[in-house]
Amino acid sequence: MGIQAIAVSLALLACVSAGIGISFATAKAVESVARQPEAASKIQTVLLLGAALAEATAIYGFVIALLMILLK
Amino acid sequence: MEGFGEKILEVMTSNRIDIHLFGYTIPISDSVITMWIIMAVIIILSIVFTRKLKTIPEGKQNVVEVIVEFVNKLTESSVGHHWKLFAPYIGTVLLFLIFSNTISIFNIIPSGQDLYKLTHIEAFKKFPDFNLLPPTKNASVAMGFAVMSMVAVIISGIRVNKVKGWLKNFTKPVPVLLPFKILDYFIRPLSLCFRQYGNVLGAVIIMELIYKALPAFLPGVVSIYFDIFDGILQAYVFVFLTSLYIAEAIE
Repeated sequence: MGIQAIAVSLALLACVSAGIGISFATAKAVESVARQPEAASKIQTVLLLGAALAEATAIYGFVIALLMILLK
Repeated sequence: MEGFGEKILEVMTSNRIDIHLFGYTIPISDSVITMWIIMAVIIILSIVFTRKLKTIPEGKQNVVEVIVEFVNKLTESSVGHHWKLFAPYIGTVLLFLIFSNTISIFNIIPSGQDLYKLTHIEAFKKFPDFNLLPPTKNASVAMGFAVMSMVAVIISGIRVNKVKGWLKNFTKPVPVLLPFKILDYFIRPLSLCFRQYGNVLGAVIIMELIYKALPAFLPGVVSIYFDIFDGILQAYVFVFLTSLYIAEAIE
């Protein structure tokens, strides 16, 4: 398992990047809703789309890590 | 710690349940059976809820109208002019995915061994082990949904723009982008599939680990996030992205 565990943890670094990315997007969205409350619904849809796309990287990392564990 | 790896493997592999029919043995994977159950539930619910519709809604008709209006608004805001063509498909996929992603909260079917211990009836021992886990934790099911929405994108592009306009769309801003536009048709279903599959499988694995580590109280609280919120959000994102792709194809 030794080296493989390190590889899996490296693959899971993708989750860190996704978390940072989504948090940046959410911070900006909160800011713009505070500035323009009437545009809230539009901002929400765009934020959701951006978060879903940013999250994809984390999911790829997760799936690859799982495959690495299972297909020794 | 040793049991965790086996538990993950057990969740990831799809069980096959043998059905004996006319002397043949047909192995059917459990996600297909779960989908049959969901289909039956949705069909029965939609028959019950749409009986005796009235002009002035009352009672259960209000619930249906809220759902239908939500789907219509979602489709209209993203697809635009041609929303009437796609609202039924979008609504069907949304309802099915919401049911299938959150089905694990109804996972209370006891296994054959448990029933035997409880009642000491021999017949229960042969009862197949069946868990109500979300069918989208199987990559093939998620890929099926992704391919379905990609086919819907292609059909809508051809239907609205005709074949000529659809082919012309490949070279729209500049012809240099042609390979990327063709590549889009392969990458988009893959990304849709992995988003759905990875999220649901991750939630299922985390829930199983929590059940194994701490079977009292905590699973109930965490399940609200991992089963209900995450499942509904992923279903919404899937449908939202599908409608965005359709909007791009028919513009």
